[in-house]
Amino acid sequence: MTKKIIILLLPCILLLFITGCWNRRELNDLAISLGEGIDLEGDSYRISTQIVIPGEIASKSTGSSSNIPVRLFTTKEDTVFEAMREMTTVSPRIIYHSHLRVLVIGEELARKGIDEVLDYFSRDHELRTDFYIVIAKDTSAENVLSILTAIEKIPANSIVSSLETSEKTWAPTTAVKLDELIQDLVTEGKNPVLPGIEIIGDPSNGKSKQNIESITPSSYLKYSSIAVFKKGKMLGWLDREQSKGYNLIMNNVESTIADVRCPDKKKFNFEIKKSQAEVTANVRNNTPKINVSIKAEGNIGEMNCELDLTKQTTIEKLQKLIESDLKHVVQDAIKSVQDEYSVDIFGFGDTIHRSDKNSWKSLKKEWNEKHFSELEVDVKVDVKIRRLGKISNSFLTEIKE
Amino acid sequence: MKLFKKMFKQKTTDSISSNSEEQQKIKISLDQNIKYINETLGNSDDLVSRIISVGQENRMEIGIFYIEGLVDTQHINDFILDPLMVRLENIDQQNDLPTVIQKSIVSVAKVQDAHHLDTALSSLFSGQVIILFDGFTKGFTVGLSGGKSRNVTEPSQESVIRGPKEGFTETIRTNTALIRRKINSPNLWVESMNIGTVTETKISLMYINGIVNKKVLKEVKTRLDKIEIDGILESNYIEELIQDKTFSPFPTINNTERPDVVSASLLEGRVAILVDGTPFVLVVPSLFIEFFHAAEDHYQRWDFSTFIRTLRIMSFFITLLAPSLFIAITTFHQEMIPTPLLISLAAQREGVPFPAFIEALMMEITFEILREGGIRMPKSVGQSISIVGTLVIGTAAVEAGFISAAMVIVVSITAIASFTIPAYNMSISIRMIRFIFMGLAASFGLFGITIAFIGLILHLCSLRSFGVPYMSPFGPFNVQDQKDSLFRFPLWGFKTRPRLISQQNRKRMESRYPKPPFDK
Repeated sequence: MTKKIIILLLPCILLLFITGCWNRRELNDLAISLGEGIDLEGDSYRISTQIVIPGEIASKSTGSSSNIPVRLFTTKEDTVFEAMREMTTVSPRIIYHSHLRVLVIGEELARKGIDEVLDYFSRDHELRTDFYIVIAKDTSAENVLSILTAIEKIPANSIVSSLETSEKTWAPTTAVKLDELIQDLVTEGKNPVLPGIEIIGDPSNGKSKQNIESITPSSYLKYSSIAVFKKGKMLGWLDREQSKGYNLIMNNVESTIADVRCPDKKKFNFEIKKSQAEVTANVRNNTPKINVSIKAEGNIGEMNCELDLTKQTTIEKLQKLIESDLKHVVQDAIKSVQDEYSVDIFGFGDTIHRSDKNSWKSLKKEWNEKHFSELEVDVKVDVKIRRLGKISNSFLTEIKE
Repeated sequence: MKLFKKMFKQKTTDSISSNSEEQQKIKISLDQNIKYINETLGNSDDLVSRIISVGQENRMEIGIFYIEGLVDTQHINDFILDPLMVRLENIDQQNDLPTVIQKSIVSVAKVQDAHHLDTALSSLFSGQVIILFDGFTKGFTVGLSGGKSRNVTEPSQESVIRGPKEGFTETIRTNTALIRRKINSPNLWVESMNIGTVTETKISLMYINGIVNKKVLKEVKTRLDKIEIDGILESNYIEELIQDKTFSPFPTINNTERPDVVSASLLEGRVAILVDGTPFVLVVPSLFIEFFHAAEDHYQRWDFSTFIRTLRIMSFFITLLAPSLFIAITTFHQEMIPTPLLISLAAQREGVPFPAFIEALMMEITFEILREGGIRMPKSVGQSISIVGTLVIGTAAVEAGFISAAMVIVVSITAIASFTIPAYNMSISIRMIRFIFMGLAASFGLFGITIAFIGLILHLCSLRSFGVPYMSPFGPFNVQDQKDSLFRFPLWGFKTRPRLISQQNRKRMESRYPKPPFDK
């Protein structure tokens, strides 16, 4: 009996020593990559990885960060995976991808097609699917990743934070994560969009420390608009109002501003606090029709017009004005996408597929080219003004000369 | 295993053979008796033998024997010497003088006849006075035990904010009295025996007849009867010799310094084992969760007590798992750490020369050394250990770059958490198991911790304390007994005694939810 126990126990104890701590990595053996960029260079990919230098971030002497908190390593190879592995020749530590926050894709590569590079990012076990993907507008991803930022010390974090905050309070941007992008790519009757980021100023100025030592940085990053894709290939950009229209239809708006003109040509702002869009489809005689109904609620944000806000009729009048403004924004967005790109980024095809799958079978063949660009879209907007802010009538009306 | 068996099998052939001799009867001659006593005790210095002559013409010789320090000398003067010398002055020698003296002269309550010298001698050591008479084969012993013993003080280990502040002492009589004062019932029974072939230590079993689990009581008695050891110096001697499983880090017998804790246990149908010479009283059977209960849990409001108990269970898990989880997550599962925390942890580890496991091991062992040093070192130099300790663990190690600051935090939390567990023996065992967890975490990551945890639970479920499953009321699960395990229900919810401790007389009270009187 005791012999048996010893025979059983001995290998167990010895096993502990021969494991050699398989897969064990100490924290200071990792190069934590927070941002990655892919550009096209000739026929091969140029991969840039933004590595955090932890000591510079969490240094105890706050304020006097003497050095740059990140480094950018780049390699060039035919495939993404190869390039990633080659990175070890320039990086002293293993690149650790699990904490990737953002993937930047150069516009050139985007126009040629992003689907191939995405395979690695969805396949590798280390990568999560919850990082954001942005397009570097008019520049390379490498340049975007090499701009130093001030408030968020890590540029990749800065890119993500401003994307997340602007998506919450400013409708023209939209944040897309890898799983959402892949979902859009594989769904019939839906095409993806990605947010575009651009560099304001000279990209080469942003690389050095001087950039963040100045109160007005000479070069900085800015989200500008939304890139329209036809499946994996980028076609072009939407402008600000079109992007807002897109997000209103896609139900992406958490809060935004509507900029409306009064009858007296002055302007007022309506702060949308809640917007609910519903897209329905019906097919009659093989001609599809889409109904978009948007219900928005919110407050008066700024009022420069001379109106008596204490009256119910004025509020109703203002609501009508906002409704027609939003309707115009939405219709304009649909119209311009139909005319310019004729690619269904709104997922109208998917809506038809869901509601009437038999007619979709005949429609789907020439959906983007023929049916979508001729699609009739009926837009209904219903606006409710809930609050006027701290004051009702503006003090501007009381200023007498 | 074989080695163990060999070690245990070794039998000693030479045993102290005082008991094997025939009982020595009291001789008729006092001189012979004195000689015998002196021989048996080896002319020990602390034996006082006083020969007095009484009666007419001082014809009658009486020998008084006692051990100095074990009896109250003042009482001997007042209640033995004084009456004998004064009142016997005019008494003629009678045939049954000892009986007369015993019945009407010695004014002490506890007087016993003695016919054998050996039994009389053994009572000498429990503080009795032997009185022998020249010309009689009969004497008697007088209970006048006294001498110095520690006063009843506040227990040093289980201190409370609210609750009785008295603790047991080293004297078993005081201890039984302390319990008697709490439970004024004729059903509180005390059974005593002497264990230890040399020390003859007095052991008392206390239980409430009618409530106690008779099977457990019987089992305790048979286990105590089997003990054959030369001496019992502390209750742990008993604990180790009667516990269910030797090779387990977990204690299956609880000990306490508090009479109120013992009383509460007796009311639940348990048996208390009191050992002379130690303030620590054993309570059997004991369950795992009870080592996380403090006396105060029933003296504070129920909601607060429940909160504190939850806190203790949390501390248990922190003590057990905090260092190993930290090792596993930072060396195997970095993807589980939120990004900002990961960067901050990585920054702290920059330049640390050791792997996280070695780092943790060093710190944990340093802490254990500090803890042990704090207990063992003389009180007068106690200050220095805290200063050196805080410097070594706290600042210097981090500033020198040997240890990351995060590790110091983890180790400190573990240390503090381990002290919230009220039972010291339980907290030690958890601290020991922690090292196994750390080793497995360093080799296999979270898988190792999971395996170790499963093993731990299997082991805990296999334990029994005097036949009662150690993990009850969780495994086997018992709804009713949840009232006083993880949670502490309001007292009006304590309708029954714990089911697995004792099956008889289970009802504690009619449950009456306290309500205000009706308004008319």
